[in-house]
Amino acid sequence: MSWLPRHGRVEALRTWLAKSLSARIVLLFLGLLLAVQAASFVAIRATIDRNARTAIGADLEVGERVLRHVLEQNARQLTEGATLLAADYGFRSAVASRDAATISSVLANHGERIGAGVAALLDTDFRLLASARTDAASLQPVLAHLSRHVGNARHAGEVMMVDDKAFQFVLVPMRAPVLTGWVLMGFPVDQPLLDQMRSLSPLHVSLETRRNAQSPWKTTASTLPSEARKALEHQNTIAGNSSLALALPDGEYSARGVSLTAEPDGSAVSALLMRSVDEAVAPYRQLQLGLAALTLLSVLVFGLGSVLTARHVTTPLRKLAAAAERLGAGDYTTPLGGQRRTDEIGELAHSFEHMRVSVAGQQEEILKLAYWDSLTGLPNRVQFRNAVLEAIAIGKADRRSVAVIMLDLDRFKHVNDVLGYRFGDLMLKGVGERLSQQAVRNGDLVARLGGDEFAVLLADIDPASDLSHARSVAQRLHQAFSDVMVLEDHTVDMSASFGMAVFPHHASNVDTLLNHAEVAMYSAKRRGEGPVLYDPSIDAASSQTLSLLSELRHALDHHELRLYLQPKLALDSARLVGAEALLRWQHPVRGLLPPMEFIPFAEQTGFIRMLTMWVFEEAARMWRVLNEGGVRIVVSVNLSTRDLLDVELPQKFEALLIKHIVPAEAFCLEITESAIMDDPQRALATLERLSGLGFRLSIDDFGTGYSSLAYLKRLPVDELKIDKSFVLNMAKDTDDARIVRSTIDLAHGLGLTVVAEGVENAQAWELLRDLSCDEAQGFHMSRPIPAPEFANWASGWAARHSALGAKGIADVNVTLH
Amino acid sequence: MPSRLVAFTLLSSALCAQAASLAVTVIDDAGKPLPGAVVMLEPASGKLPTKPMAQVDIGQSKRQFTPQITVVTVGTPVNFPNFDTVRHHVYSFSPIKPFELKLYAGVPNAPIVFDKPGTAVLGCNIHDRMAAWVVVVDTPHHARTAADGQVRLDNVPAGSYRLRAWHQAVPAGKEPAAEALTMAGTDMSAQIKLPASLP
Repeated sequence: MSWLPRHGRVEALRTWLAKSLSARIVLLFLGLLLAVQAASFVAIRATIDRNARTAIGADLEVGERVLRHVLEQNARQLTEGATLLAADYGFRSAVASRDAATISSVLANHGERIGAGVAALLDTDFRLLASARTDAASLQPVLAHLSRHVGNARHAGEVMMVDDKAFQFVLVPMRAPVLTGWVLMGFPVDQPLLDQMRSLSPLHVSLETRRNAQSPWKTTASTLPSEARKALEHQNTIAGNSSLALALPDGEYSARGVSLTAEPDGSAVSALLMRSVDEAVAPYRQLQLGLAALTLLSVLVFGLGSVLTARHVTTPLRKLAAAAERLGAGDYTTPLGGQRRTDEIGELAHSFEHMRVSVAGQQEEILKLAYWDSLTGLPNRVQFRNAVLEAIAIGKADRRSVAVIMLDLDRFKHVNDVLGYRFGDLMLKGVGERLSQQAVRNGDLVARLGGDEFAVLLADIDPASDLSHARSVAQRLHQAFSDVMVLEDHTVDMSASFGMAVFPHHASNVDTLLNHAEVAMYSAKRRGEGPVLYDPSIDAASSQTLSLLSELRHALDHHELRLYLQPKLALDSARLVGAEALLRWQHPVRGLLPPMEFIPFAEQTGFIRMLTMWVFEEAARMWRVLNEGGVRIVVSVNLSTRDLLDVELPQKFEALLIKHIVPAEAFCLEITESAIMDDPQRALATLERLSGLGFRLSIDDFGTGYSSLAYLKRLPVDELKIDKSFVLNMAKDTDDARIVRSTIDLAHGLGLTVVAEGVENAQAWELLRDLSCDEAQGFHMSRPIPAPEFANWASGWAARHSALGAKGIADVNVTLH
Repeated sequence: MPSRLVAFTLLSSALCAQAASLAVTVIDDAGKPLPGAVVMLEPASGKLPTKPMAQVDIGQSKRQFTPQITVVTVGTPVNFPNFDTVRHHVYSFSPIKPFELKLYAGVPNAPIVFDKPGTAVLGCNIHDRMAAWVVVVDTPHHARTAADGQVRLDNVPAGSYRLRAWHQAVPAGKEPAAEALTMAGTDMSAQIKLPASLP
């Protein structure tokens, strides 16, 4: 890290700390320990310092007492010596002799005996009688001092200067036996005394003297080494102070001046007691070193301990993190471990393990939901798509073909609606089973794509026969649906629309392939045919269809739809009795479009309901116009399957009737057989309500479905419309004629009016009239007429009709065409 | 320091022509009567005839001289009988009579004759605390003050005298000078103040 800039290093350290819990724990503990140690070290150091200084101060104080004690003791000894001398009979005899020379020699002798530097005999008034070793002048200051403090016992042993030297003086009386004089003895205060002092205490002592106030202090004796002594002499102005700090060559000293004497003339003697700070602090230094060593040791031990503790905490955490990482990567199978611990980390491990197990379970469930259809147990769309994807990849590599057959049950919604969803589900299961039975080779896959949509994948097909293979399989599956399915006592007639697409012919990728198969399937459904193989043209048609829906919406909103009316005439009188409302689309590009171009599509998409409502409203408006113009007819409107299934249809119609002030009896609603049969129950309910409202009801295209007259009997219908296919062939085909006849008879038997469609010639007209058919509708009378022109046509027809009277319609027809 | 006050009081005794008495009061510095002081009245000129006294004893008993103060006339022999069981070494460094009686027990062989007037201080070389004074007077008119500090000198003929007093408590050399006094056949009284400092 050393190459990093300082800021970078700090940043890196911070990052490392942020990442490593154990590093933070260790650092925290060490930091705390160091802080505590530092604080105690500072406190101890301060205490030591204070103690050392106090101890030095105490040492110096003690030193002073020791010094004074030594001096006192000296004085006592001296006093004893002097006293002995003073009491010596020989000495007294000599003194009594009054011989000065003798006395001096005796003083000298005795002084020497007890080591006195000064020995003198004073009279009772402290006048010098005799002295040894010292002349009278030198002693004069001493005598002056003594005379000032005469008789004051406390001054015994006082230190005074004689000839620049310090002496300790004692004065003892000489009695013979009454006081006859004084013996003064002076003992030098010098090196031996200081040495004695030094031996008694850890202090150094210097003796400082000065002759008078102006003269400098002079060191006369010292226990200091000579170097230090010299240095001290240079600082000799300080000797009078009571306490001071000295910096000498051999270290720092604390010093205390002890004044031994101070005369009015300024001469003074002081002892300077000195304590080496280094020496005083030395034992504490040892203590501090010990403490420092202890700190170092405790930091090491603590560091080691906290590293181990942190490891103990973080290692299992790291393991758990790694385990969680594995979980994140989707590995739910490896147990985590570490649950043996009973502490919080153990709990954490337990929680993780629990999570792993439940996530694994959920994952399995999700996978199931994601790739399998829970109802049929077949693969779902996702898995199917993946399989197709794989198959295409293999196909690309091995030059093999892949086919997808897609199928959609017809009218499954109605099964669901009528028989219930449970039944619908059973049916879907049955379909799945049936498909699985029919399918297929190894590697083929049946899937439910959703709703009633299934798909079969045929993978790895020989390209030479791929299309025929797909066709044959689709055909086989289609066949399988022709057998009825029996479910819970219900026999269901199933049908399905099949579409197929083959890679590489129809698509090069999975989505396009599936899309094309679906397009083909819808095409099959529209056409109502068997399996349809994808073809680009279908696609175009289907896309056309898609755009058709939006165009239809546009048409509805922009008045592109046109209402046409085709007249219905009474066969017996050729009188106009009604008209069928028909829809045309005035397309802005493609021109007028016939119903076949868009009605089936509208029925398929449900848009037919919008169209029905539009037609009904237009018809109502038109009826009102016609009615006001004196044309009284019943307008027929076609209802689709989806209309019948719309339970709100009656209300909607009723609302429109009210809006346009038209009676329900003005309408005849035409329903195809198949529309009823898709959901007979619901259809019946709707029809009954419509009938209840007063609408006439008519069965359209009768004869094309399977409905029986017995069933029809239960319907509230008023009219039956014979499909034009029978009417058109009636003249040539006797069977058809027979059907028409019997139908008319039966209908009349049931009390229904019979209407024939597709009357295209006079022959048919005549025939139907002979068969007692009630009404006719067809090109022979009129093509569908744009509604606005219908009034004109009606008045024209009425004019001709009244002119013709009971004449045959054939004539009329001729005139019309 | 010669602040000594001497007061003379003339006692009216006109008929007494030949001899009279002198009453002397000795006081100390503080004005208190000083008992035991030796009062001496010496003729101003010439001498009065004095006879040596018979032998006087200054014994030593219980390591003390007894009596401590002895007043003798010039020429009086003084003996120093030792009544203690220990020996004594009696000495004097006084100029009027230096002598020593080296360690002895019992009675010394010969008495010491004090033949000069003055005061001799006696000590014992063995026992420093022992001290005695021998006041040698050269006049018959001497006496010691009683407890009230007073003494009466009788039969003092008229004439000029020097009046002195001595007390052991007066330090050596601090003795006041003698006062001149004229006795005129009448009783008189005098007061002497001594710079004595009694313990």
